[in-house]
Amino acid sequence: MVKEVRIALRNSGKINPESIDEYINADGYQALRKALRSTPSGIYDEIIDSGLRGRGGAGFPTGTKEKTTALICADCEKYVVCNADEGEPGTFKDRVIMETDPHSLVEGMIIAGFSINASYGYIYIRGEYSLSISRVQKAIDQAREKKFLGENILGSGYSFDIEIRRGAGSYLCGEELTLLESLEGKRGYPRIKPPYPAERGLWGKPTLINNVETLANFAPIILNGAVWYRSIGTEKSPGTKIFTVSGDVNNPGYYETPTGLTLRELIFDFGGGIKNGRTFKAALLGGAAGTFASAQLLDVQMGYDKLKEHGLTLGSGAVIVMDETRDLVKSLETIMKFFKHESCGKCIPCRLGTAQIYQSICGFSEIPVQKREDFFKSILKQADLMAKTSLCPLGQSPILPLRSIWQNFSDELLTLK
Amino acid sequence: MDNYITIYIDGKELKVNAGDNLLKTARLNGFNIPGLCYHHKLTPTGACRLCLVKVDGMRGLVASCTIAVQDGMKVTAFDAELEDTRRFLLDYLLSEQNDDYDFTYNDELRDLMFRYGLDNKENRFFKPIKPNPNFSIDDSSPVLSYDPSKCIKCFRCIKACDEVQGKNVLSFNERGMDSYIIAGLGVWGKSECDGCGECIQLCPTGAIVERPNRQTIKLNSIEKRVRTTCPYCGVGCQIELLVQDGKIMRSNGVEGVSPNDGRLCVKGRFGYEFVHSPERLTKPLIKRNGKFEESTWDEALTLVVNKFNELKQKYGSDSLAGYASAKCTNEDNYIFQRFVRTAFGTNNIDYCTRLCHASTVTAMLKSIGDGAGSNSIEDFETTDCLLVTGNNIVETHPITATYVKRGAAKGMKIIVIDPKWTPLVKYSTVWLQPKLGTDVALLNGMINVIIQNGLIKQAFIEKRVEGGMQAFEELMRIVQPYTPQKVEEITGVPAEKIELAAKIYGESATAMIATGMGMSQQVTGTHNVFSLLNMMLITGHIGKERCGIDPPRGQNNVQGATDVGCHPNMYPGYIPVTNADNRKKVAGVWGVPFENLSDKPGLTTVEIVKAAHDGKIKGLFIMGENPMISDPNLNHTEEGLKKLEFLVVQDIFHTETTALADVILPASAWAEKNGTFVNSDRRVLRVRKAVACPGDAREDWRIIHEIAARMGHPMPNYRDESEVFDELARVTPIMEGISHRRLEAQGIQWPCPDSEHPGTSTLYTETFNTPSGKAKLFPVEYAEQNEKVSDEYPFMLNSGRILYHYHTSTMSRKNKVLRDFANESYVLMNPVDAIKASLKNNSKVRVTSKRGDLITKLIISDEVLEGEVFMPWHFTEAQVNRLTRDELDPYSKIAPFKLSAVRVECVE
Repeated sequence: MVKEVRIALRNSGKINPESIDEYINADGYQALRKALRSTPSGIYDEIIDSGLRGRGGAGFPTGTKEKTTALICADCEKYVVCNADEGEPGTFKDRVIMETDPHSLVEGMIIAGFSINASYGYIYIRGEYSLSISRVQKAIDQAREKKFLGENILGSGYSFDIEIRRGAGSYLCGEELTLLESLEGKRGYPRIKPPYPAERGLWGKPTLINNVETLANFAPIILNGAVWYRSIGTEKSPGTKIFTVSGDVNNPGYYETPTGLTLRELIFDFGGGIKNGRTFKAALLGGAAGTFASAQLLDVQMGYDKLKEHGLTLGSGAVIVMDETRDLVKSLETIMKFFKHESCGKCIPCRLGTAQIYQSICGFSEIPVQKREDFFKSILKQADLMAKTSLCPLGQSPILPLRSIWQNFSDELLTLK
Repeated sequence: MDNYITIYIDGKELKVNAGDNLLKTARLNGFNIPGLCYHHKLTPTGACRLCLVKVDGMRGLVASCTIAVQDGMKVTAFDAELEDTRRFLLDYLLSEQNDDYDFTYNDELRDLMFRYGLDNKENRFFKPIKPNPNFSIDDSSPVLSYDPSKCIKCFRCIKACDEVQGKNVLSFNERGMDSYIIAGLGVWGKSECDGCGECIQLCPTGAIVERPNRQTIKLNSIEKRVRTTCPYCGVGCQIELLVQDGKIMRSNGVEGVSPNDGRLCVKGRFGYEFVHSPERLTKPLIKRNGKFEESTWDEALTLVVNKFNELKQKYGSDSLAGYASAKCTNEDNYIFQRFVRTAFGTNNIDYCTRLCHASTVTAMLKSIGDGAGSNSIEDFETTDCLLVTGNNIVETHPITATYVKRGAAKGMKIIVIDPKWTPLVKYSTVWLQPKLGTDVALLNGMINVIIQNGLIKQAFIEKRVEGGMQAFEELMRIVQPYTPQKVEEITGVPAEKIELAAKIYGESATAMIATGMGMSQQVTGTHNVFSLLNMMLITGHIGKERCGIDPPRGQNNVQGATDVGCHPNMYPGYIPVTNADNRKKVAGVWGVPFENLSDKPGLTTVEIVKAAHDGKIKGLFIMGENPMISDPNLNHTEEGLKKLEFLVVQDIFHTETTALADVILPASAWAEKNGTFVNSDRRVLRVRKAVACPGDAREDWRIIHEIAARMGHPMPNYRDESEVFDELARVTPIMEGISHRRLEAQGIQWPCPDSEHPGTSTLYTETFNTPSGKAKLFPVEYAEQNEKVSDEYPFMLNSGRILYHYHTSTMSRKNKVLRDFANESYVLMNPVDAIKASLKNNSKVRVTSKRGDLITKLIISDEVLEGEVFMPWHFTEAQVNRLTRDELDPYSKIAPFKLSAVRVECVE
């Protein structure tokens, strides 16, 4: 049986999250000391070598993003932004990190700041996460007191500080460019991309945006080296991933495991199997902007690339498990309602597409069985065009659950009463 | 040209400007890519997605409005997939739209609907989506209606308000499908919206439409669209009038031309209604037994001619005088001054500029050689620092202010000097609030700080200022005592603010000055402007682009009327009446004996009234002016005008002045005539006839032309206004190269000495227009005002204008829209004073000075300092100039409208 390997959650449950001394005793801020003795390129090269990929959902190589931001200009003002606006349904890994080991985020962020020579960092935390906010704030204050933050950190000559900003409930503000708009005090509308944040981010300055879990991996990687990190998990997406398992399982919760375990292991070993002795029907991977996996796919490895081969996504690591009694069309309806509700309305394909598709899905069960295939295919075509034409990732998301449900559950959709 | 690059659209090779927007470039080259959210005046939004194209080397479909062209770029603008995608998106959009159409607005969505065959509902794939049940039409604004069911959420209105007009009033409420536009925190009518209508002009559908004429206008019945120049302030906005059934139905801003690039203010867009007012004068009127009776033109003109001839014979030429008009065209004014100088035989010609920027012009002429703005309007956006003094630019020159606000958004530093809060303060870096009448002290203090901080430009002073550093030292000696602390005592402005402002102005690489009535309308008006000019000259902030001094002109053609000679001391082109060579030249052009042209400087406006009082002026011809509102000390003015033996007033409405006339001649409004205006940046702009004069009313210059002929001083038979202009150009060297033909496409800024010359955007780049070619410093001392507060008159009254009204409001108050926004006089008083005097907000008060009194409404406001009160002077119900003085600035003869000691009492 696969065991948990905790890197991002290395201190979770072991130390008092409100005590910097306990964090320091657990090798805390050693990576920062090491980083400050190194060079920015030393840091981002290490991260590149580690193969760490963004844990927010998109899986973009983290070090590459860092390097681009570092090299875009030498002496200009830059920012590090931590995306802690954890809004993907079924996802609560960032919250666990912030609540149980906030210093791992703070330390990772300072290292990231140093690697691109940023002067300031913002942590944009989902507004409902009160405990995360207070714990991270406490961590920042303690770090500043210990000179890990502020002017001339540990005598290195490098200065950096961090501020928390609270989100206000918009799903879309978790999208990185929209998050930047919100950080600037504007309404949460997505920006035109390109320019990418590395080029023109917060206040128009080069900006590195990373997810909480990604940053929590920084200190261990710097401290133990890329080779160590690569020794864990799969070759193409090394390291660990925190999965948040919810739904019809006996042991819902968060589990940090090496990448490459299978869905079956996750659900049955960690999750303790399906509740009430029922059988597994489906798992929604990655939240609303995710994909439906069927029982046939239980043995697929949970890595970015392996999943992709089967039309699935890892996304944020959310795994919502459904047993045999669940109505998948109802789930789709809920997801589409969610997108419609969260669509900002800026671009036509997303504003109208989310509404039209929701309207169609609501009427799906009334469609005569023999017409269902055409009907659903036209929805897929719509969602595909939406994905091609939408301004931001929200409009590009509905295709994911729709296509995967069609691929894996078409029999059920075509026969459902 | 290395600015050009090559791109390929659908295989066609194109040479295009590097860095230009791809969508704009494609459209300019005939590729009519659809798109609804893009507008060339706005930053790209990328919301409608209709302009998607394929670009080699770029992933997926790219919104062409969001990218710039790059050398070698290969673009597919049209193929089956793109067109299908666009149809799909339009189909989507139409599923939330109410596509009713009533021909009252341009509808870009409707055009696309036909283009893609989606007008036929059977061709639409998507079922309609139920709109937000909370959607309702917002009719609360006097100028527009917002219908969310027709809103495509393209952001153009929001960006029009933010990026173009700098007002930031609009935003979305709700999200996604449910979103709709709100103004401020709710409906338009309760927001800060000032009715400029930029959002209407940029709305691509029928979501935001004009309310005026909504029931009658039909765009498919518009008989002509006439491009002309706005008749209100001196910005000279280019407008297009839509005429239906012989009436103006709408006014749109003309995109792509200076000075406004389509922008308008509430007056320019909605202030045309007066033209068709039933109150227009349509027949000549002769006063008999105290009552006006209608007459024929022949009868009226016979009387006018006989009377003026009789007075001229009896009392001499200098017993006659004429008031020209800042509202009339150059052609009207040119003919008028020729008439006064030949038929009357006097230089007694002046007009309301005397009461406006006379002191500014006097100081500028002496110091730098021209009395007009040194820069182009565009510089108001691009300069590093703008000092605005005594000028409520946001309200009085709203379109110039749009440039200023855009500059502020990009980081321009703005210094506001004004005793009263103005909306520009919101955009300013620092606001100095001096007590009324202390400007010279304040500016001398700023000069002192500039010198103390080593911010003078010695090389400039040595090269371009008469007397060089020696002259500078004289200035330095004069300003030495004006330390920031001393100046704080005099002006009430904190020393540190004086220092901050002086440093900002002195340290900026480029800096401009806008100076207004607050500076000029004082007994020390000329001195005020001298000290401003001194500061400008020692810092070298003139003589290049984005540097200089600009007095924004208050009226449509106040600049032009002086340019073409409506000045008691100057012939057309600012040539002194005493210049015999010029008079000889002009006599030749006019075909009159040289001896007949008087070399004796004439009287100015207030002097004419005083001379009338004294029995020296017997006959007066007023063309399109209303001194019974605009002149100072109205009780005295009224007595003067009543003493005249003969008063002719030519106007388009009955006014406070026509009431005193012996004969009233009905003239034409701006939309009824051809000609030219000159705006604040010396731009000569075409005015074009859109509609016919009502009744028997005639064009101004034709009336004068006939009177001159009947008085025995005929002028040539000009075929049209362009021939009048051609003659004008021959005697006005600064306009010699201009003709109506050259002005077809856009205006030309004088000086323009020959027909090949492109005009001059920035003055003094080489030399100043003084005899020596150098600028002159005029060090001035601060002097206390004669008018002082006392126990009897404890407040200093300041007067000014508001956005919604214009000058004596003869025109502006005949527009319902403008009345809806503002139609009532008031006096502003500081809360501290109001509490002391136990006066309540909105209460009726009497304001009394030594000269007269009036009744108005009290508004308590911290926009004014303690001890000072403010009134707008547009309203005839409370004539502010009953209170003002006719003590004059000795140099410019301007009156001190800005400073009158008054008391304010509650009226039971």
